[in-house]
Amino acid sequence: MTAPGPEGGDRGRAGELVRQARHALRIARWEALSGVGGLDRRTLLSALVAVLAIAGVGAAVAVAGTPQDANVYRVGVAHDSPYYEPVRQDPTLAVRDPDYDDFADRKLEVIITRETIQANDTRKGRAAAAEVKSAVRRYNERLMEAEAERGNETAAFPVSVDLRYVDRGGSGLGGTGDGSGGGDGDGDGGGDGGDGSSGSGGAGGDGRATDGGGFGLPSIGAETLFGSSGGRPSDIRPPFPFVSLVLAFAFVVPMNFVIQAYASSILGERTNRRGELTLIAPVSPATIVAGKTLPYFGAMIGIATLTALALGGGIVSVAAVVPIALLFLSAAFVGGLLARSHKELTFVLVTVSVSVTAYVFVPAVFTNVTPIAVISPLTMVVRDLEGVAVSAPTFLFSTVPMLVASGVLFYLGGGLYREEDLFARKPIPEKILDALAAPIRGPTSVGAVTVLLIPFVLLAELLAVAVLFVLPLSLSLPLLLSALATVEEVGKSVHVLAGFERARFDRSLRSAAVVGAASGTGFFIAEKVVVVGQVVGLEQLDAGRALQRTAGTGLGESASPIVLLGLLLAPLFLHVVTAVVSAVGASRGRRAYVLGLAGAVVVHTLYNLTVVITLVR
Amino acid sequence: MSGRLRIARREIASLRREKTIVLAILIQLFIAAFSSFLLVGLVSMYAPGSVQGGGVTIGVTGEAGPDVIEEIGDADGGFELRAYDTREAAREAFADRTVDAVFVADRRDSGVVEVTVLVPDGSVRSTVIVVGVRDALQAYEHARRDALSAQLDRQPVDLPAVPDGSPTFTFTYTLLVPLLAALPAFISGSIAADTITEEVDAGTLSLLLVTPTTAAEIVDGKALATIGLAPIQAAAWLALLWANGTAIADPLAIVALVAALATILVALGIGLAVRFSTRESAQLLYSLLVLLVFGLATLLPESPPNTVAKLALGSAEGLTYALVAGYLLVAAVAFLVVRRTARRAITSG
Repeated sequence: MTAPGPEGGDRGRAGELVRQARHALRIARWEALSGVGGLDRRTLLSALVAVLAIAGVGAAVAVAGTPQDANVYRVGVAHDSPYYEPVRQDPTLAVRDPDYDDFADRKLEVIITRETIQANDTRKGRAAAAEVKSAVRRYNERLMEAEAERGNETAAFPVSVDLRYVDRGGSGLGGTGDGSGGGDGDGDGGGDGGDGSSGSGGAGGDGRATDGGGFGLPSIGAETLFGSSGGRPSDIRPPFPFVSLVLAFAFVVPMNFVIQAYASSILGERTNRRGELTLIAPVSPATIVAGKTLPYFGAMIGIATLTALALGGGIVSVAAVVPIALLFLSAAFVGGLLARSHKELTFVLVTVSVSVTAYVFVPAVFTNVTPIAVISPLTMVVRDLEGVAVSAPTFLFSTVPMLVASGVLFYLGGGLYREEDLFARKPIPEKILDALAAPIRGPTSVGAVTVLLIPFVLLAELLAVAVLFVLPLSLSLPLLLSALATVEEVGKSVHVLAGFERARFDRSLRSAAVVGAASGTGFFIAEKVVVVGQVVGLEQLDAGRALQRTAGTGLGESASPIVLLGLLLAPLFLHVVTAVVSAVGASRGRRAYVLGLAGAVVVHTLYNLTVVITLVR
Repeated sequence: MSGRLRIARREIASLRREKTIVLAILIQLFIAAFSSFLLVGLVSMYAPGSVQGGGVTIGVTGEAGPDVIEEIGDADGGFELRAYDTREAAREAFADRTVDAVFVADRRDSGVVEVTVLVPDGSVRSTVIVVGVRDALQAYEHARRDALSAQLDRQPVDLPAVPDGSPTFTFTYTLLVPLLAALPAFISGSIAADTITEEVDAGTLSLLLVTPTTAAEIVDGKALATIGLAPIQAAAWLALLWANGTAIADPLAIVALVAALATILVALGIGLAVRFSTRESAQLLYSLLVLLVFGLATLLPESPPNTVAKLALGSAEGLTYALVAGYLLVAAVAFLVVRRTARRAITSG
């Protein structure tokens, strides 16, 4: 179980470290070549054939596949109608004869006779009519394209557009009366950017990314879309890096396969007590875990490097993928330790795949729209693929929370890598409590675990911000504030519950107060350390600003010292109070814990609302 | 007969005991919630007016500026124009946020009007603004084309006077519903493979064979349990969508289709599990082959998502129903084939 005692002195410790590293490498080699996770030759061969077949079929699908929205709307249109060709050429629309009986029977969504167009008065009918409209629009573009080729360039495209993105600082939502927050006064920089009126076309990117204050995040779409100086109005697209996003996905997909094998291997150690042999060997559990993980991590990074080479990504792409790979692995590791059966493992892994993929993918969708996108390392990949430089603080901001989170997952999972848990078939919640209770000894360690949980709290909060920022502010703000409160309260109390359930503390009011205060203080300290978020211009977003306001960091400059001190201590008071409330609940059992937690969340939400309302106004 | 049911009940019981089925439902709820959030996001980007104060104010300047104002100043749309005499004045208005965007319109020798557009960068609203800018410029282009129509050999077709649709409608039916229908079938196949590999791993499969239960009954029971889950989940989804105002035109056909897909995938999962017997091999090949089968199905005259979309929308005609029948037939054949080979493989150990 434990590593052999060091011979004493620094040399002994260093020697021990080297020996453990050597053991880890030996386990890694064994795992890669013949370990339980190793796939046999027949499987690998079949997989290779399948991959080749998929590539072939994929190419065929790209040419001849039917899109999911093919012919979903039926349009009755006569051959001599000017709308016949536009409808026929649109894949979403199916051409039918204009039969009024069919139209009345709802066998046609839209009917066009000569010049008039009628649609069913249903949602579907309206959607179909709108689709006809955009089909006509696209048809006209193609028609004018042909005209232009025939030499009627001026009449076909009488307007040419040069779109320039200019940073004027702060968030565009600023209309809601928030001048105090972001970078005011850098409007000048924006003006300059637009100035090079003659400037080489396609320089849509000028004038931004250069200003100092507002951390202007360059938006990329424009550059690729307006490569030539004379764009057409219909070429204007909202900034959306579609191709790069799809390519970035290519980095994530293979990881889902690798974690399957990895988690199977971890589970394999546990079923039939196979792992007992490695446990009695003179190596520490950490060494075993490191050794078992190494080959899979290597495989992921190898695949990512090949992907980067194939897609034209650079070292930034590969480096940004590292935290994603580690998060996948650490989550799969915990999953492999928690699952009781193959079926359960499948469910756990699907959950891991869906949530990690959503976490990295959804914010990246908004790469060009809002700075919130940088919370996902995948955004770094998208930018790298688009050929946009990534600054070091931005890179750190998007990768460090995930790195720390995966480290913590490995650490907590490591708490389960012992005989009692490895071979026991306990329900998942019990094992989670085991893992959380493992490092808890006293009040100080409760505070420490709170600090460890902070990265998860951050990840969850950033995800909430990313998901909710699209809603109107009046709706997103209260939702966001209560979501943040819930996440933070759970983060402060779930290990306290574990401590009480595993009898680390006696179930008295006094110990609940002590433990809760420790947890709240730990949270407060860690939260103050994480002010890094402010540096990275999260405050360009109103939602981001709300996150920081509640954390007590976005203080107005006008406040007097006494008010400032009060504002500094208020969050400490809040965190301690709410943590004690949920700790008292936890000390009375699980049902009481849920009640206590609910109470803490309500108090926290009310506090958040008060702070935001008084500070934003 | 009873052996089959007993095996099926055993699998369901173990799922219930582990409460993992709750996880599966949570995953799908998560996906649905996520898609709807994403949906609101995309809608707010592409159809700005539909969400919140979509009006985009554009400052217009340059020598062709008055022409722009004259042509589209009164047009309906998500934009409002303001004339500025000098570029500096327009730029100032842009900097202090009086206007959202600036057009600097200049005439070129060829007669083309070149518009330099300034839009703010890096804000949630910039997408909304870009869409408003596009609408304004398209309106202007349309007006200019009309004026120059004598030079064109073929005239553009008039746009039908119907409102722009909400992108959510087509998205919901062609992406969300097919996704929610496919996921249960995929998961069913995956756990079907697990039910075999975990018995092999624990050595309980041979124990099971010593009992009066036959190999065929074992395969049947496991298939029954896992196939049965998928249509139930799909039906629950359709009911939920319906309760949320997304009417499903032909729920029965969709549930039948899900049952067929689940049977095909469960047959695949069981077939791979008896052949490769370790979880990692079976699952790896399963995911790859699902991709392959799905890709092949996309080459049909209607891809499976397309079939689901048509059934959900009520646009299904003869071909769609023929395909559903075809899937059911393929499912039956696939199941019988796998059952035969699986029985032989299990009995021979």
